Amino acid sequence: MRTLTARRIVIVCATLAGLLLLVVVLSLKFGTRSISLYDLAALLFHAATGRSDQISSDFRLIILDIRWPRILLAMIVGASLSVAGASFQALLRNPLADPYVLGVSSGAALGSILSLIWAEQLPGATPFGAFIGAIAATAAVYFLGQRGGELDSYTLLLGGIVTASFLSALIMFLMTTISGRELRGMAFWLMGDLSTPTPLSPAWLFLVLILAVGAIYTTSADLNLLLGGEQEAMHLGVHVVRVKLVVFLGASLLTGLAVSVSGAIGYVGLMVPHLIRLLFGSDYRLLIPATALGGAIAVVVADTLARTLVSPTQLPVGAMTALVGAPVFIYLLRRSKT
Amino acid sequence: MAAGWLALAALAAPQLGAQAASPAPAPAPTKTAETLVEYHDDLGRLVRMRAEPQRIVSLAPSLTETVFALDLGARLSGVTDYCDYPPEARTRTRVGGPINPNLEQIVSLHPDIVLAIRSLNRADTVEALDRLGIPVYTTDPRTVEDVVASTRRLGEVLGAKSNGEALAAAMEKRLAELAHRLAGRAPKRVFFVVWLDPIITTGQQTFLADALRHAGAESVITADQDWPQIDIEEVLRQKPDYLVFAGAHQDDPQGTINSLRKRPGWRSLDSVRNEHFAVVSDALDRPAPRMLDAIEDLAHQLHPEAFAHAPVSQSGTSPHRSRL
Repeated sequence: MRTLTARRIVIVCATLAGLLLLVVVLSLKFGTRSISLYDLAALLFHAATGRSDQISSDFRLIILDIRWPRILLAMIVGASLSVAGASFQALLRNPLADPYVLGVSSGAALGSILSLIWAEQLPGATPFGAFIGAIAATAAVYFLGQRGGELDSYTLLLGGIVTASFLSALIMFLMTTISGRELRGMAFWLMGDLSTPTPLSPAWLFLVLILAVGAIYTTSADLNLLLGGEQEAMHLGVHVVRVKLVVFLGASLLTGLAVSVSGAIGYVGLMVPHLIRLLFGSDYRLLIPATALGGAIAVVVADTLARTLVSPTQLPVGAMTALVGAPVFIYLLRRSKT
Repeated sequence: MAAGWLALAALAAPQLGAQAASPAPAPAPTKTAETLVEYHDDLGRLVRMRAEPQRIVSLAPSLTETVFALDLGARLSGVTDYCDYPPEARTRTRVGGPINPNLEQIVSLHPDIVLAIRSLNRADTVEALDRLGIPVYTTDPRTVEDVVASTRRLGEVLGAKSNGEALAAAMEKRLAELAHRLAGRAPKRVFFVVWLDPIITTGQQTFLADALRHAGAESVITADQDWPQIDIEEVLRQKPDYLVFAGAHQDDPQGTINSLRKRPGWRSLDSVRNEHFAVVSDALDRPAPRMLDAIEDLAHQLHPEAFAHAPVSQSGTSPHRSRL
């Protein structure tokens, strides 16, 4: 493995950012109504130079007011879930950890639903509920995963599965007993869906994303040491409790953020960090920014497929990610056994 | 699909021309030359739209039916994947499902007004269209009377006031006649089969429950949920007089009925033994003018004795039906 230099981090991230830009442009181009690359370039140029009066109102609505906000959300959600996945993998020292598999997404979903039932009018109630739900679920899984005072890989996964199915049952119970009309769209949302724009401002979501990823990034050197074992890390001067708390809160916040916007999109937090590790190594100083960019790319691609494959009808984006992600999970599980 | 795009281009062309000619482009769908009108919809939202809208998008099968019944089918440019009546509705551009409509497709159709219904569409969808500057008129009929009022009101909002008035008056007349015929007769206790595996029926607060009441029936199930899932034991305990099936929920009502005769539990039900089945069209569950046909049909099946004498007036034909 090559030593990690600042130069390498910049090169890898710049490459991924370039790829993300390409994917975003293609995603802007494709949709129910296609637009030629030339028209798209002209539109973006006019929009960037503030001369939006030059754009036909049709394209302005479709590209700038429908497609672009959705792509922006896909990027924020993808980056959040992937960094959350990478963080849980370090925190639990388990390459199979993922907010969806561990039941953290279900916790966030339950939190959102409860906040919808109890405090629908309060602004920001849904993301806050999702955050609390994510923290509670992570804590539960962490507790369930202990065996003889140690975190055990398979106990942890079982704990996650049990937590996820228990929380899903609770969600099911709430959805059948409470006939609130607004819970109707929930079935889509639970699958992971980006088709309905969120009333939350993307700028705020982006700010939370940057803060949470930034906080996790400050611990990246310690995370590298932590992967070798907690005792060893402690001897090397790592403040283990503090690092774990930062990563735990940061990852829960990211999961809550993603779920409150898009529901439970699965397997992104599993696939993306794994792929990034295969390509660029497992040093968390590179892994975290590269994973954020990779996650953004993955969800933008998945959502573009979700909205174009059977257009004008739309698939939930969670179905697309699970279609690819579940087999990857099985592959990783089998490989980790041998 | 190709035909859809052609229709789309034809719709788009004159508007783009108009926009190029105007000196200062107006924000999104507002057109300077046209008269704007304002209405409060059933949710109390103020909807500002062009008078006599020429391009209508419907987000629910019942609304599509209503627009056609108002004789405005020619102005309907977009419908949902589930809009199957009248058959002509299938020729319109599809905008996806009622719960997750495709916003891009809706915008491409340049609607003057989008029609939504609270019981089927999501508030999020209405808000999203609102932010895009597309006027949305949401109806919220919860009873049969609401549907009549809503039909009258939609006629006015869509610039076909006299059609709406005539249609609503005809519906009222038929309802009054039905009520007259059923007066003094005890309602039949029915179990409405929305779904069989698992068993799902209607609660008491739905539009369907009210349609049943108008047909001289009452649902034996009193659950708080709108679409409760019920145990077969509860059906046996309630001993319904009739089992009612609606067309669309069961692809093959007769096949379902035949299978009930062999099923444990169901086969010991008196209504199954005595062949007390009523099968009506799925219009019974659609808050649109055609519901009256289904309500009358069900009333005939449940209370044949009430219709033994000569009709008070010709109830078989109605203005809206002859128009379709």
